[in-house]
Amino acid sequence: MSQQQMFMAAIILGALGMWLMLPRGTAAGRMAGMVLAAVGLGLFCSQIPRLAGVVADSVFLILAGITVVGAAATVSTHSPVYAAIWFGMTLLGTAGLFLFQGAQFLAVATVVVYAGAILVTFLFVLMLAQPRGRTPYDRVSWEAMLSASVGAVIVGLLTLTVVSVLSAPGPVVETSRRIVQSDRDANILADEHVARLGQQLFGPHLIAVEAGGTLLLAALVGAAVIVAQEKLNRSGARNTNYETSLKDEKGP
Amino acid sequence: MLHDQEIVLLNNYLFVGALLFGIGLVGFLARRNMIVMFLCVEMMLQGVSVSLVAWSRYYNDFGGQVLVIFIITVAACEAAVALALVTTIFHRRGSLDIAIWQGLREANQPPFVDQELPEDPTDRPLIFPTLPPAGVRPEIPPTETDYRPHV
Repeated sequence: MSQQQMFMAAIILGALGMWLMLPRGTAAGRMAGMVLAAVGLGLFCSQIPRLAGVVADSVFLILAGITVVGAAATVSTHSPVYAAIWFGMTLLGTAGLFLFQGAQFLAVATVVVYAGAILVTFLFVLMLAQPRGRTPYDRVSWEAMLSASVGAVIVGLLTLTVVSVLSAPGPVVETSRRIVQSDRDANILADEHVARLGQQLFGPHLIAVEAGGTLLLAALVGAAVIVAQEKLNRSGARNTNYETSLKDEKGP
Repeated sequence: MLHDQEIVLLNNYLFVGALLFGIGLVGFLARRNMIVMFLCVEMMLQGVSVSLVAWSRYYNDFGGQVLVIFIITVAACEAAVALALVTTIFHRRGSLDIAIWQGLREANQPPFVDQELPEDPTDRPLIFPTLPPAGVRPEIPPTETDYRPHV
């Protein structure tokens, strides 16, 4: 079989596994789904090109494996608290992948901001909203087969595009100048990587940084307003009809 | 051969990004818990971030990494507003199930009827740790002893 057919077989196996692993009201077939998805993932890993060096290759495969297995477990586990914790595993794997690419700041920011703040907020709301933990709607899904096939189509399209473009003979992408490894060592993999990233961030992207800060402030105010409004509505303290309240104040 | 090595790295990272995006999409379409749906959206964002970092290294350009920083910013904003909305919605109906909002469907759509669920075979009784009593027994007001489904 050609490489593309192997990729397609791996993706179809993985999608079948995902379909069986998704909550469907019964626990039957979950184990078979896990086995199928693992076989699909192994087939996928056997087809991707190898990095030079056993250590680099195995480190990449372990990090990518943690990421993808955590993602599949997030989607398929019944308990939403466990789903959040598996997603934390995915985030840690992603942070490792960033570090493997030399993106030191992003790796730390992912752990601190994503896993440390956003994920904990999700867990907080989960525990606030579902103190009992187990709910019937977590044991069923919408159209498990249809959504698994949608995922297979998306992943298949992306993967086969990458395979067909990057394995084509000749220069992959025409660049204005040929990038060699010494360029990377001097720029994106330099020792002062974080300083260079900050230079980029506060140099050409300064307006975007300001816009991002404004967005954060707006989101903060918006979240506070949404919750406060709901509280006022529930307590009934707010007079919803503004005009009548004005009339009452003026008197007859 | 170093250039080839970089292409292999880019290739593999794009595969990981595609897998993360696809799995997140499956979860967003299939799951019914609103918070799990938001987790899946964050996972799709992570897939895009992985691809961006790979392109950033390949082109020796910090633009991709700067974009990932903005993705993290927007994800934080999204999580704040989304969780505020989710708590509001939860207070109204007392459930995180997205199916209770099916009244928002189009006029000619048939209503979704929830299937009868068999009892969860893995539903074991929860075992909590027990502690030996010590000190004076506290006085609990009777209003706090009964269970409140709303927090």
